[in-house]
Amino acid sequence: MKIKWKKVFAFVVLILFSLISIGPIIHVVGVSFRADQSFAVRDVFSGEWNWNNYIQLFTKTDFLLWVKNSTYVSFVVTLTGVVLASMSGYSLSRFRFVGRGALMLSLLVTQMFPATMLLLPFFIVLTKLKLINSFFGLFLIYSSTALPFCIWQMKGFFDTLPREIEEAARVDGCSWFQTWFRIVLPLSTPAMVITALFSFMASWSEYVVAAIVLQNPELYTLPIGLKSFQASLSTQWGFYAAGAVVVSLPVVVLFVTLSRYLVSGLTVGGVKG
Amino acid sequence: MNLLLILFFSKFIQAEKLQLWHQMLPTNRLILEGAVKDWEKANPEHQVHVIYRETEELRSGFQSAAMGGTGPELIYGPSDQVGPFATMKIIRPMDDLLTDLSEFDPLAVVKYQGSIFSVGDMVGNHLMLIYNKKLLQNPPRNTDELIEIGKKFTKDDNGDGKIDRYGLVWNFTEPYFFVPWVAGFGSWFLNDDFTPNLNSEGVIKAFSFVKSLRDVHKIIPQECDYEIANALFKEGKAAMIVNGDWSWGDYVNAKIDFGVVPIPMVSQTGLWPAPLVGTKGYSVNANVAPEKMGPTVDLLKHLLSTEVQKKFAIEVGILPSRASARQQDNDRMAGSSASMTKGKPMPIVPEVRAVWDSLRPVYQSILGGKMQPQEAGQKAQDEALRQISVMNEVVQPNWQASLLQGIFVLVALFALYKLFKALSGNTLFKPENRFALIMTLPAMAAVFFVIIYPLVFNFVLSFSNFSLRTFRDWQVVGFQNYFSVLSEKVFWVVFGKTIIWTAVNVLSHTVIGVFLAVLINQTLPGKRLMRVLLIIPWAVPQYITALTWRNMFNQEYGSINNMLTSWFHLSPVQWLGDPFNAFAACIITNIWLGFPFMMVVALGGLQSIPNDLYEAADIDGATSWQKFRNITWPMLTAVMYPAMTLGVVWTFNALNVVWLVSNAGEPADSTHILVSYVYKAAFNLYRYGYGAALSVLIFFILLGFGIKFLTANKATESIQ
Repeated sequence: MKIKWKKVFAFVVLILFSLISIGPIIHVVGVSFRADQSFAVRDVFSGEWNWNNYIQLFTKTDFLLWVKNSTYVSFVVTLTGVVLASMSGYSLSRFRFVGRGALMLSLLVTQMFPATMLLLPFFIVLTKLKLINSFFGLFLIYSSTALPFCIWQMKGFFDTLPREIEEAARVDGCSWFQTWFRIVLPLSTPAMVITALFSFMASWSEYVVAAIVLQNPELYTLPIGLKSFQASLSTQWGFYAAGAVVVSLPVVVLFVTLSRYLVSGLTVGGVKG
Repeated sequence: MNLLLILFFSKFIQAEKLQLWHQMLPTNRLILEGAVKDWEKANPEHQVHVIYRETEELRSGFQSAAMGGTGPELIYGPSDQVGPFATMKIIRPMDDLLTDLSEFDPLAVVKYQGSIFSVGDMVGNHLMLIYNKKLLQNPPRNTDELIEIGKKFTKDDNGDGKIDRYGLVWNFTEPYFFVPWVAGFGSWFLNDDFTPNLNSEGVIKAFSFVKSLRDVHKIIPQECDYEIANALFKEGKAAMIVNGDWSWGDYVNAKIDFGVVPIPMVSQTGLWPAPLVGTKGYSVNANVAPEKMGPTVDLLKHLLSTEVQKKFAIEVGILPSRASARQQDNDRMAGSSASMTKGKPMPIVPEVRAVWDSLRPVYQSILGGKMQPQEAGQKAQDEALRQISVMNEVVQPNWQASLLQGIFVLVALFALYKLFKALSGNTLFKPENRFALIMTLPAMAAVFFVIIYPLVFNFVLSFSNFSLRTFRDWQVVGFQNYFSVLSEKVFWVVFGKTIIWTAVNVLSHTVIGVFLAVLINQTLPGKRLMRVLLIIPWAVPQYITALTWRNMFNQEYGSINNMLTSWFHLSPVQWLGDPFNAFAACIITNIWLGFPFMMVVALGGLQSIPNDLYEAADIDGATSWQKFRNITWPMLTAVMYPAMTLGVVWTFNALNVVWLVSNAGEPADSTHILVSYVYKAAFNLYRYGYGAALSVLIFFILLGFGIKFLTANKATESIQ
């Protein structure tokens, strides 16, 4: 009996926290179905509900274009992130070369500088490379800002893999590259999935950098598009909330489908398992 | 290979076109876009990108762009941005571009130090009293009537103890919406030469007046920002609102039948409140390429033409700057014009920003009951004078500059020497190391260009005098920025808050995360669903959820107070108006955002704990807590410490939450943590060198912490 009570307690606490987790989200969903464009003031569930915000979002605004752009940008960034991070993560995990310690440290260090102060230099670099107003500028910045975390994450996972298999492969005549590509990578799916998820999230909902890089409405990504509903003295909250719900959906779906990898693949900072 | 690269790159480079940046409201945007399309039709060889940015982002974005030598050809915005831009030399005088301005309202031709820097397509942009005609037929003419009518309309209809309708609402916590009253009490917040005059009688009386509307006469809500005031008025839950002509389109769309009159005369003095009257208009970027000048001016002339202005006047009811575009007066226009005649011109000198920034905190402290009006006026005045002097300060290089140059050279030489030594050792050329290098190189190159270079750039900037007056010719001057950061008391206060912020957040994230992970790591009904729900705060983009939390914290309408009052019968908490509570609100939001990450990390760690340890403990009769204390937590530390280190770094630099939840530090700049303080210092007072020095300090604080924490917990294996 004793154990059962503990389970009941666990169950109740988890339910409570689940409710806290989704409370604010329900609020946003509620606003997205409301007929007017305001946010606060009224009880979310009272008043008229309809699909108008969603319908207008898709028909009256450039929402689909933003979805297309964001998907494209996120896809490229995710691909670059996973490829580069698994390459350098592997070499940082397996080789002891000169400057390795400094490299690892400098990756961690990049996370420590307040990002807002980097905006001006970003802008100057991109202007010099003529990458303002192009997706390539976004690829460059998103991939490299996400990389430090991704590299650490991949390196941490590689650290947990036993070396014996690789040594056996080397004895059988595999080159280093073949060992990595044929033996190690297939074993690393969970970590790669997580790295991909992080890169994807970093680019899917990023606003600040996109706002300085993209100056052509045809290139707008979802966050910039959504922000344009939010004027300083008059926000179209209905559109904004509906857009927010649609933006969040793919991320939530990804999290749900990948949740089993999340647990096995997230190895921040490298742990010997 | 090279050719391929070039082809690859060129695919992404767009042909350059004309750009126009603006901050128009949704209804006005459509008209602007239509006008631009017309021009494109007449000039098919040119294309225009019309880009909307929120006012503050427009300002900072344009500054960065102009700094990088690019930016839009035309920028549209309120006249108060003209002073700073002209001082920074990033917009050019327009005297030679537009010759015939005789037909324009003088208010719309914005001059700064003798030259024209902006020409408006409308005038006004001022505050007035807007009333709902369905509720109210005779609007108040003076403050006695205002209070009387206000009391009549402020009502609790259903008797639940909550006010259902207010007499008057407006964004009264924001200084811009407050200053008209100063004139009503006999003085003005600026002197004629635009120096601050915040300790004057009128300011102090106006402070007390607004406070009495809320606390004595109770005709305005306890807490009211722009969003809430606007929403209340649109839903018919407020009889009157003080707002500008920009809001009309919004009310028309909401099908409110409204009337417009000047803000009521102050009964005690017989004087009228003076709204700030300005213009919104176009300025020309100083970087416009010579070959684009022709089309730019042509587009500018089109946008200022009578035809376009007429469209704006008819469709959104603004007052055009050209006499020939003005429409027949209707009631609203008449009310608006009457308000305008009582107004004072919007100051455009850059120093005004310091006045707003000094007025805001003390004003909000008065409203929060933390300060008396008399004391507040003096404090705001002193602060404004101080901010103006630092803003205009241009530090000259001294001996430290040469010292620094020497140090830079030495560091560079040392780095070269290290590199040379590393390369000359033959270990690098062993085949496996070559492989390792090739594998690391692409990622490192990317990180170097995008992160290391900006870091070094900021480092240099932190020793420079880069600010408002040296925007285009800054130089390295020495350690002055560091001295001024470290000698200011506010730095240490904010630093202390940042430590509390970080510690409370990371500890809560870890405790809640580990707790939930342990609970969910057993067979339970609905386990998968709950795991998904618990991850949701992490999955939904922050800029959406943080704003939602801000709304949930509202004193009267937020769901948090609703729950507290209706479920627990507590009195409503003033979340966002009180410094301590506002900070707590930010922390609560951030805890909510951060615990799923820790939970997932802990769940991963739990998988690697062998089950036989627990079985052995069961045989020994250990309690759950003993098992957690002696098995689970020690085994988890290996994952949790590195995750906590990252957590500390991320939380320390979490700008979004503070910015969005407390609306950039409100009330009274009391919720700042170091990063938001940096942001405000750098972008509000244009002190980029100072901001850079502060960021470098943050960087070293975190670096010191990171190294210490990781070594202390023997988690350094991952670095070494």
